[in-house]
Amino acid sequence: MSKRTIKTSSEPLSQPSSELHRLQKSMMAWLINKDTEAVKPDIVDTGEVSKVSIEQRLAVYGNAYGYRLIDALSENYPAVHTLLGDDDFYKMTYAYMDAYPSQHFSLRYFGHQLESFLKTYHSDMPILTEMAKFEWALRKGFDAADSKTLTLEALQDIAIEQWAELTFTFHSSVSRLDLAWNTPQLWTAIDEESEPMPPEKLDHPYAWLLWRKELLTYYRSLDVDEAWALDTALQGGNFSELCEGVCEWIDAEHAPSRIAGFLSQWLQDDLLVALA
Amino acid sequence: MNSNNKYPSLGFGLGLRKEHYNAILDTKPAVDWFEILTENYLVPGGKPLYFLDQICERYPVVMHGVSMSLGSYDPLDMDYLKQVKELAKRTNAKWISDHMCFTGVDGINAHDLLPLPYTDEAIQHVSQKIAQAQDYLGMQILVENASTYITYKQSAMTEWDFTTAVAEESNSLVLLDINNIFVSAYNHGFDPLDYLDGIPADRVQQHHLAGHSQYDGYIIDTHDHDIVQGVWGLYAEAIKRYGQVSVMIERDDNIPELPAMMSELQMARDIFAETTQQTTEVQHV
Repeated sequence: MSKRTIKTSSEPLSQPSSELHRLQKSMMAWLINKDTEAVKPDIVDTGEVSKVSIEQRLAVYGNAYGYRLIDALSENYPAVHTLLGDDDFYKMTYAYMDAYPSQHFSLRYFGHQLESFLKTYHSDMPILTEMAKFEWALRKGFDAADSKTLTLEALQDIAIEQWAELTFTFHSSVSRLDLAWNTPQLWTAIDEESEPMPPEKLDHPYAWLLWRKELLTYYRSLDVDEAWALDTALQGGNFSELCEGVCEWIDAEHAPSRIAGFLSQWLQDDLLVALA
Repeated sequence: MNSNNKYPSLGFGLGLRKEHYNAILDTKPAVDWFEILTENYLVPGGKPLYFLDQICERYPVVMHGVSMSLGSYDPLDMDYLKQVKELAKRTNAKWISDHMCFTGVDGINAHDLLPLPYTDEAIQHVSQKIAQAQDYLGMQILVENASTYITYKQSAMTEWDFTTAVAEESNSLVLLDINNIFVSAYNHGFDPLDYLDGIPADRVQQHHLAGHSQYDGYIIDTHDHDIVQGVWGLYAEAIKRYGQVSVMIERDDNIPELPAMMSELQMARDIFAETTQQTTEVQHV
């Protein structure tokens, strides 16, 4: 989704096609660009009667616009909010609103560009970018589509000759992240309202899996071979390819049982919805 | 055009809020129906739909949205309408409502109920969009009066004349928010009874009752307080004019426990009973 700018009625490339259109563009110019003069001439001044000025009346809409989007971003990114503190979170949100005004009917998706926005807006705090990535993946898991997941019994129905070509379809809540900071630990501390530890950059990125089981969202770290196997399976790799690839970390004779162990865990975690 | 085909009244309802999911399922409160916030359930799956499905098994439900943007110069968002239609099927929604407003233009969404000018152009524009939405959804929709804080110089009629003209032109129904009339009357200095007198009873399908926040010289429709006496009084006046209309309590912030909401709902029942009794007595004298 590209960055959009709000064109006011004064801009030649955006001529309104009716009085209704012009008024609406003017009102949006006030909300987005805080351009009071764009709409003020169209508003009845009742200041002498009601002692409420045009500016006060417009501020009701202007404030509501800001507060609503701040609430929406905070709901999806509570740990980013905590790490920044109220004042800086509000300031950041207003900058984000300017860069990425909402183009979706639902506030649920307003924050979908926050990770890339923070990468430049808060390049001084890389933990924020990673926390935004982590929280967006949690959000994806929260309301991902419901699918009936497979149980361990599903493996028992697979004929021996079918195992080599077996591929896997995962629940839509599954996300795989490589995180360079102690982001999940920090998120947990913030979520539990305990004293958060300082952000810490790790020696190397660690692999994490996020998903929803029934109604609850989970995350866990992955060993390097399970992370590779999961990534490969997510991309359509079959059982034979998984066994072959995992030999980078273990002996070939143990490869099938290692992959079978991953499969067993994935089934217990409700990650798999189909085998083919 | 006469509507003549209002939906049957559902009685006394509450807005469904996630804070009450468990209490509703555990205690099965005596609520006649629930109004859901459409956008909260336009998600692929997970907890919101899990609870909604269970509540729909137990109670009638109507859908109340904020994104149809019926007044916007932009065309209807058909992807949104498609999802609304699918949710209505899933919930067996008795009806669908949205607001007399625009929420954005030129592809940008302000996520706020922005006011329209009360002009002939706006009547034609909004009516056409409502008619298009009704055609697609296959049902009459309700359009709610929004609280407003400004008046455009271009407006050539009262809000109630505008609302009535749109309802008749589009053959839609009216969700008359009593609190919003109270708020706008205070903010613009009109008599709220003139508003009630100006809306034809055969168009009024539903009422909202809600609280607001009083500031120095103006009121904001915040839905975060109990309903004030003035709004209860105006509700009684609405009953005298429109009779039995489905009514619900709309609370969106600072949400109390379910029993407090039930107390407000009982207040609505009591006012309805008292007012209809008085009206009957007057008619018998």
